[in-house]
Amino acid sequence: MGDFSLLWLQSAACGGDSMSLLGLENPNLIELLGNQGITLLWHPSLSPERPRQLQTIIDAILADDRHLDLLCIEGAIVNGPEGTGLADVLGGRPKRDLIGELCARAKFVLAMGTCASYGGIPAAPPNPMDVTGMQWRNKEPGGLLAPDWLSRGGLPVINVAGCPAHPLNMAQSIINLLIQGTAMVLDEWNRPQESYNTMVHQGCTRNEYHEYDMEETDFGGRGCLFFNLGCQGPKTSGSCNSSLWNNQKSKPRAGVPCFGCTSPSFPKNKDFFKTDKIGDVPVELPTGVERPNYMAYKGLAKAAAPQRLKDRTTGL
Amino acid sequence: MADNKKNLTVELNRVEGDLELKLVVEGNRIVDARAVGRMYRGFEQILIGRHARDGLVITPRVCGICSTAHLYAAVTAIETAWQCPIGPNGTRVRNLCLMAEEVQSDARHSFLMFAIDFCNRRYRHHPLYPRIEEAFQVFKGRIYAETIRHTKQLLEIVALFGGQWPHSSYMIPGGVTTVRSRKELIRVQTILDSYLRWYEDSIIGCSSERWLALRTRDDFHAWLDEKQAHRDSAAGLFLRFGREAGLAGLGRGNDRLLSYGAWFEPEEWQPPFRKRPCRRRAGFVNGINGRVEEFVEEKIKEHIEYSWFARQSGSGPPAGNRTIPEFAPNSKRYSWAKAPRYDGQVVEMGALAELVVAGDPLMSSFFREQGATVWLRELARLHRPLLTLNHMREIVRTMLGPDFEQPFYLSPKTVYSGSGRGLIQAARGGLGHWVSFADNRITGYQIISPTTWNASPRDNLDRPGHWETTLINTEIADLENPVEIEHIIRSHDACLVCCVHFLDTGRKLSFGLGPTR
Ligand code: SF4
Ligand code: SF4
Repeated sequence: MGDFSLLWLQSAACGGDSMSLLGLENPNLIELLGNQGITLLWHPSLSPERPRQLQTIIDAILADDRHLDLLCIEGAIVNGPEGTGLADVLGGRPKRDLIGELCARAKFVLAMGTCASYGGIPAAPPNPMDVTGMQWRNKEPGGLLAPDWLSRGGLPVINVAGCPAHPLNMAQSIINLLIQGTAMVLDEWNRPQESYNTMVHQGCTRNEYHEYDMEETDFGGRGCLFFNLGCQGPKTSGSCNSSLWNNQKSKPRAGVPCFGCTSPSFPKNKDFFKTDKIGDVPVELPTGVERPNYMAYKGLAKAAAPQRLKDRTTGL
Repeated sequence: MADNKKNLTVELNRVEGDLELKLVVEGNRIVDARAVGRMYRGFEQILIGRHARDGLVITPRVCGICSTAHLYAAVTAIETAWQCPIGPNGTRVRNLCLMAEEVQSDARHSFLMFAIDFCNRRYRHHPLYPRIEEAFQVFKGRIYAETIRHTKQLLEIVALFGGQWPHSSYMIPGGVTTVRSRKELIRVQTILDSYLRWYEDSIIGCSSERWLALRTRDDFHAWLDEKQAHRDSAAGLFLRFGREAGLAGLGRGNDRLLSYGAWFEPEEWQPPFRKRPCRRRAGFVNGINGRVEEFVEEKIKEHIEYSWFARQSGSGPPAGNRTIPEFAPNSKRYSWAKAPRYDGQVVEMGALAELVVAGDPLMSSFFREQGATVWLRELARLHRPLLTLNHMREIVRTMLGPDFEQPFYLSPKTVYSGSGRGLIQAARGGLGHWVSFADNRITGYQIISPTTWNASPRDNLDRPGHWETTLINTEIADLENPVEIEHIIRSHDACLVCCVHFLDTGRKLSFGLGPTR
């Protein structure tokens, strides 16, 4: 066993990030832990020990008798009802408080998934239990921890965003922390830059359709889902189309619009399956493009579209 | 409280979500039990006011372990409201994905969640213990590692059609988003073949045909005695050890079993959706006479007498109820779960219930003999994948053959108001979504998940829920190491994230096991 210790806790979570991690390939979960010399102190679904042994571990960490290299949190932080935090308790105490204390001891803290990062689905209006992310409240800095909070290792909470987080992004973040430690580079939303520097749009099998403005108006086709069906791939940083899911696909590849689940603003408050438009033009364009240029280019591209795309003969 | 009674708080991990059990023991016998979950997120509230289709994105996130089941229930709820026809291949794809989720869930339950407790120190002097450890120990056990490797592949089936597992939204009113292709189907076939081969080699130690020929308990015992390969297989080891550990006499509930029926028949499951044409039929077993009564949706009611919900949330049929949380500590209420009842009765859900209701001969034979016990629930989860895998292979065959040209999706006419319900059979039992819309906005959304039935608190007539009933009268050999309780609860493959939530009785809560004073 190595001496890089990892403690995983779930707050208001669906377990999706843990399930996602079980799907990890090359390395698989067992290899990830074994090959990297990671000591798993606790995971709620994988640990054989009972929760009371968890308390012993926690006590030792809080007393500084046991070092904690990596604290992984899955799920949103619960403040309700009425500010008590009692809608999510462990051993009779709000988990919020326990997690806060553990953060003060951890060398690094990873928020696994969009809930832990920014609040995610349970933070959608009306946010019944007043949840936040670890260090963000949707797009606003500051959640459980203050905006300027840094762990003992000198980094803010690292947001491995996604609903659920992609297993490779979780694994790479852990390995990168092990190797690079404090030198790990984060983006503007405190996501590990290396894992979030591609757009979901890149690598999509429908991308050629997008280029030539061959847009679907209904489901079940091969064309692009951006103009009509709500796809947020061109506005979303994520690796879904470059590191495929479950070795196979991504949502847009399977004809499901990207819902932008790696963004702090997930879930959006409008119909997920529809693109809001002014006239013919989506209200929100791909990240970084100028509206007039984009429209001019689209018009030309549509005129130049190859017949195989118009006929939808290209496979996926 | 009499002096010989003690309060115990037992917390459980390795169930999806956290669970706390408040028990009262007299000597070593449990005389009272309350099942308490500890977390509330409020999905039903979040859905109100959103677009009708948003349930397809929001509700899979209720649960990362059965997200496909929630998606299927959500889309069915919309379709029954909109009365839209469904492309038959859409139903086939949905069924395939739901089955893939079920089969992986069964293996992960047995070998990543349940078998670990056989490695408990209670059993360390048992002659089979070294073999148990070799097979089932966390991370190091051979079967443990193989289960991680093989279950992952099954989920590729969901990803082939839905883009990812967990949490996708590929089921849409009228069918699925998938583009028709043989490539995908052939990949599914190879995944199924390789999973089946592993299951035969490692899990049952014989061909699936040999296993599926088991129709009675005597057949089963004969199988066990037939060959060393059978006894030494993971299932052989697991079931032999389980019997010797007394699991066949443990955790018997009230033998009332409910199943909504699994897998809609693609051609027949169409508007007006009055009948439930299911491959595994729906029904209700009342007691051990084995008679299966017809399933009647209207018999489902829920109560909130002991739950943290405002009175105006309502009791009765779920469609008319609302979810309005009300935090009121120091009262008799103790759970965020509602108390669902079928025809006024406490029922058990899960793999065993599903198979007995469907008339599976092996399960029915054992059920007649021993009722619903821990051991039998586990046997059901080892047995069910073989039935399901067979059916999956049949679907792929017909889709590659005569059914290939059938539609995957029929574009629905949008309807702006109405109400519907999606009742499907998830890996852990019946899952129901009840939804109503006005002007394409959701005005009501009620979910009853399988574990809510099992983990339910007391109801309007003070009747304890299924787990509570099952725990009461259980003898615990060692109060410091109450492995019996863990076997009982885990035998239901507990998944608490989507149903039950938390407790504050105002009493001091103790952590782990130990008397609270
Ligand atoms: S980010 Fe998604 S997968 Fe993760 S806990 Fe939240 S809802 Fe579940
Ligand atoms: S479907 Fe989405 S991700 Fe794919 S090309 Fe179109 S916009 Fe991009």
